Amino acid sequence: MKYRVNFFVNEEPVELYVDANKTMLRVLREELALTGTKEGCGAGECGACTVIVDGKPINACLVLAPELDGMHITTVEGLAKDGQLTNVQQAFVDLAALQCGFCTPGFIMSATALLQENPSPSRDEIVDAISGNLCRCTGYARIIEAIELAARKGGGQT
Amino acid sequence: MKAFEYFAPASLEEAFDLLDRFGPEGKLFNGGTDVVIQLRDHLIAPKAVIDIKRIPGLKTLTYDPQGGLTIGACMTMNEIGNDPQVIAHYPTLAKAALSVGSKQVRNRATCIGNIVNASPLADTSTPLLAHNAVVIARSREGERSIPLEEFFVFVRKTSLKPGEIVTAIQVPPAPGSRGEFTKISRRREVDLSTICATILKAEDGWRVAYGSVAPTPIRLKKTEALLNEGPLTDAVIEEAVELARSEVSPIDDVRATKAYRLEVVGVVLARSLRALM
Repeated sequence: MKYRVNFFVNEEPVELYVDANKTMLRVLREELALTGTKEGCGAGECGACTVIVDGKPINACLVLAPELDGMHITTVEGLAKDGQLTNVQQAFVDLAALQCGFCTPGFIMSATALLQENPSPSRDEIVDAISGNLCRCTGYARIIEAIELAARKGGGQT
Repeated sequence: MKAFEYFAPASLEEAFDLLDRFGPEGKLFNGGTDVVIQLRDHLIAPKAVIDIKRIPGLKTLTYDPQGGLTIGACMTMNEIGNDPQVIAHYPTLAKAALSVGSKQVRNRATCIGNIVNASPLADTSTPLLAHNAVVIARSREGERSIPLEEFFVFVRKTSLKPGEIVTAIQVPPAPGSRGEFTKISRRREVDLSTICATILKAEDGWRVAYGSVAPTPIRLKKTEALLNEGPLTDAVIEEAVELARSEVSPIDDVRATKAYRLEVVGVVLARSLRALM
């Protein structure tokens, strides 16, 4: 049995027929080809699949596809507008706050959600906000600095 | 994940119909942060997943000085932990709620789910036990109030009956109480408790609740009785530490040894009592 869901991804309306035993993550990646959202652990521990739903960061791997109905989802693909990176994205580039890059979209989404809610976070608040995101390459120092830089440049918007 | 049918009932009546229809093959679903993993790992394979998040009236949190706090089933950990009333009147509960998982998990996970899941180390169980919380279960027959201590029966077993849905948890008012919530874990965030505890100094006496030291989260009643006998002195604390260690029955597991847990039960109690003296 398929379930009809109507939702918004990056402000675009979407209507799909989905299986109940799929996750939001698989729908985004496999049915909508939005592969910026990554699967790391699949259990809500690594944050590689972080997306923003109704203003809050969540793990896409822990949402069932039929739950999508009515949601407003922002993925990493929805941040840059007309080729213009957001402050958070540009800060990650400027400070080289990544190595392999696999965890980066998740960090960008957690940082974006933080700055939308709290445009001038302290270093501790930044560390708290990204504590659900694992990076195995960088050691986090550059990531934290990039989020501080993005905050100084005006926060979660472009 | 094996195939299942998904339902999002629009009322409790509809949810009761589904529970009748599917019986033990119907799995109630709330924030999903435990259940999706159980589905994925084939630990459960229900015929139906019954999502209660679209039932009106479950996404509420109310407080008044006479009635205390009522937490609706669908309130998330972040909503509870960041609520000004919870922070003001039940700070141990706020701290426990914000100690669960990550920010992403806490935006989905619910306190009621944490309790119904009945893990021995449920982070929100010890502040709720210390505050004498009551589980509200609804069924076609009506409403039942279950003291949290009687709700936990064994590892992942509760006294919930077939056809019942937990709609809320009520926490009595606790004027003048002060408490300490402690979570001992291998890392500060996104980890399960090796031991968690809430020590509460209420108006009518001490309350001591621990998680991950027995098959269910528990109150240490003998230790409480000793503490309530008289003024708190260093000698009483030492005696209470020994008594607390005799009241728990921890096991060796992946997170810690039994010996470590026995030691830390005492350390956490002594530290908490000194902080609240």
